[in-house]
Amino acid sequence: MSSKTANPLLHSAAWRISLRATLAFACGTLLVFIFLHQFVANDIQRRSDAWLAGEVDVLGDVAEQTPKNALHDRVVEEIAELASKEVPNRDTSASASNDSVFFLQTGDNDAMMLWVGTGNGQEILEAIQAKSTLPGAPMDLRVQGFDTPFRVAATRINDGSYIYLGLSERDELRVLRNLRARFILLWLLLVLFGFGIVFFTTYRMLSLTRQITEAASRIGHSDLSARVPTGALHDEVGSLALTLNRMLDRIENSMHQLHTITDSLAHDLRSPLTAIRGKLEMALSSGDQTEPIVIVIEELDRLTEFLNKSLDVAEAKADALRLARSEVDLDELLRIMIDLYEPSMSDRGLSVRLQSGGPIRIKADEALIHRMIANLFDNELKHLPAACTVNLFLKIDGGIASLTLEDDGPGFDDEVLPHLFERRVKGRQSNGHGLGMAFIDAVVRAHGGTVSALNREQTGARIVINLPV
Amino acid sequence: MRLLLVEDEIDIQNFLRSSLQEAGYQVEAAADGKTAERLAIGGDFGILIVDLGLPDQDGIDLILKLRQLGITAPVLILSARRTVDDRVRGLEQGGDDYLTKPFALAELLARLRNLLRRNGPPTGEATRLRVLDLELDLLRREATRSGQVLQLTQQEFVLLEYLCRNAGRVVTRSMILDKVWGMRIQPDTNVVDVHIYRLRGKVDGPGQKPLIRTLRGVGYVLKDR
Repeated sequence: MSSKTANPLLHSAAWRISLRATLAFACGTLLVFIFLHQFVANDIQRRSDAWLAGEVDVLGDVAEQTPKNALHDRVVEEIAELASKEVPNRDTSASASNDSVFFLQTGDNDAMMLWVGTGNGQEILEAIQAKSTLPGAPMDLRVQGFDTPFRVAATRINDGSYIYLGLSERDELRVLRNLRARFILLWLLLVLFGFGIVFFTTYRMLSLTRQITEAASRIGHSDLSARVPTGALHDEVGSLALTLNRMLDRIENSMHQLHTITDSLAHDLRSPLTAIRGKLEMALSSGDQTEPIVIVIEELDRLTEFLNKSLDVAEAKADALRLARSEVDLDELLRIMIDLYEPSMSDRGLSVRLQSGGPIRIKADEALIHRMIANLFDNELKHLPAACTVNLFLKIDGGIASLTLEDDGPGFDDEVLPHLFERRVKGRQSNGHGLGMAFIDAVVRAHGGTVSALNREQTGARIVINLPV
Repeated sequence: MRLLLVEDEIDIQNFLRSSLQEAGYQVEAAADGKTAERLAIGGDFGILIVDLGLPDQDGIDLILKLRQLGITAPVLILSARRTVDDRVRGLEQGGDDYLTKPFALAELLARLRNLLRRNGPPTGEATRLRVLDLELDLLRREATRSGQVLQLTQQEFVLLEYLCRNAGRVVTRSMILDKVWGMRIQPDTNVVDVHIYRLRGKVDGPGQKPLIRTLRGVGYVLKDR
């Protein structure tokens, strides 16, 4: 964690990202500018070259056609001065004295015949002689004593003399310098501004992820109720936070269920275990040991069944119930079940009737379906007062096997009905574990079916179980 | 009958060993798969009891290995796992049986007998069963006691037949539910007791020696003495 103590900002991902993004942006704009600069420079040069070529031709013509009298030099000189006033890219604010253009006519022996420009033109003449400038395309000429080179065009006239027209590149370079200076200023501003924006956005975005990280680490340590901040935006980070929160919801829910299961298991195991222990101690001290041992065994059997049922319900709630499906005939199963339960029911003054249209075969886990139906019957047997009737209706409709159970007993307690299929929910009179209906619900759901329970209008309860065939 | 017991929990092993010896089996016990393998090869056992949760390997793998070694004796699988593994189902279809812990000793003994009978030489299926003065005609589905015809329903006859076939031995409620109604359920109401009670009312008439005895907490036994 030394990086944190040094400077957290310089080690943050936001810093790195903005640095890289800015670098890429800066390089890109610089390349574009270099290209543009090149283009502008070439264009300026092309223009001055065209002007030079045009003017030198004009001056050559004038020098040729003007009679060689005393006025000749003056005429040429004036034309040259006029031409120098039309210099392209000229800095108008500069002094009136024109030092950016020169006109030079040399004779056969390279002697200066005519000079128009600042100074006496001696350095320029030497430079021209040194470079042996020839007629043709304009070319660069460096002259001692001048900061900027000249662009010189030459032509030969028919009296054998040469005419040179030179244009200082000073103005041209000044335009480009201006361009560069402005660009660099703007470029720096742009890059800084871009860096600021990128840094700000990534920093904000990443600080959200940092908050998520911090919240997540808190969750791991203390409790599951904390949630990560979701932020106002519905972007990737926002949806990450939402997804995390949803995951936490599910985990908390599962943990809650697990706690409920362990709590109820602890509760439901303690009292029978205490009873078992007590009975066994009694058996130790009493003479007749059969009775307490018998009760203990019965108690243990009940405990085992309760454990199995709890785990089945818990697994079904967690969608982890494994089904071993085979073909089950619900009609046949109900008839066997009625055969099994009828004596117990008639002993208690209950009657049971089945209305069924014939065999209905579904693909289901036989053992679970058996236990589910047995639970239904056990419920009726335990809760119905004498002289009641249980009616079972079995039918198949559009690929859904539907089993309806109706009785004319007292129905479900009102406060119990909305939570009927939850664990540990049982009526006031019930002495069970409150698992029966939860188990039925679990099995039906595991098979992809639905179960509903309600009180009938007159009296009694109705349970409808729908199972896909 | 030599029996190999493969169970790693010593308490259960000891308890089973003494119970099985009492029931007339010559018991050899192994606490892990390796020992079991070694014993099984030279042991000539008539039947095996294998717990699935062994310390060194899975019980199913042990059984498969023993089968590869040519051991054909029936195997009764013990499992603390609640949901039965598909592979166990496969084995069960192959003629073996399984029992989940906790179990009633009576049921274990009954299942062992059942396995041995299934794998033993076929006996000519009797058409009549006789226990003391109780007689069942399996073809006519008719039961008589001391020559008196008993008015039994179809289901009561099947129940009585099951008790007769296991005369002198304890049958538990879950065994009755399994064999007579074909269900492995454990109702938390006394449905089986009511059936037995009714059957007893018909079989053990007034003045007759009661044949169907209740062993509370365990099950029922049809007396053959």
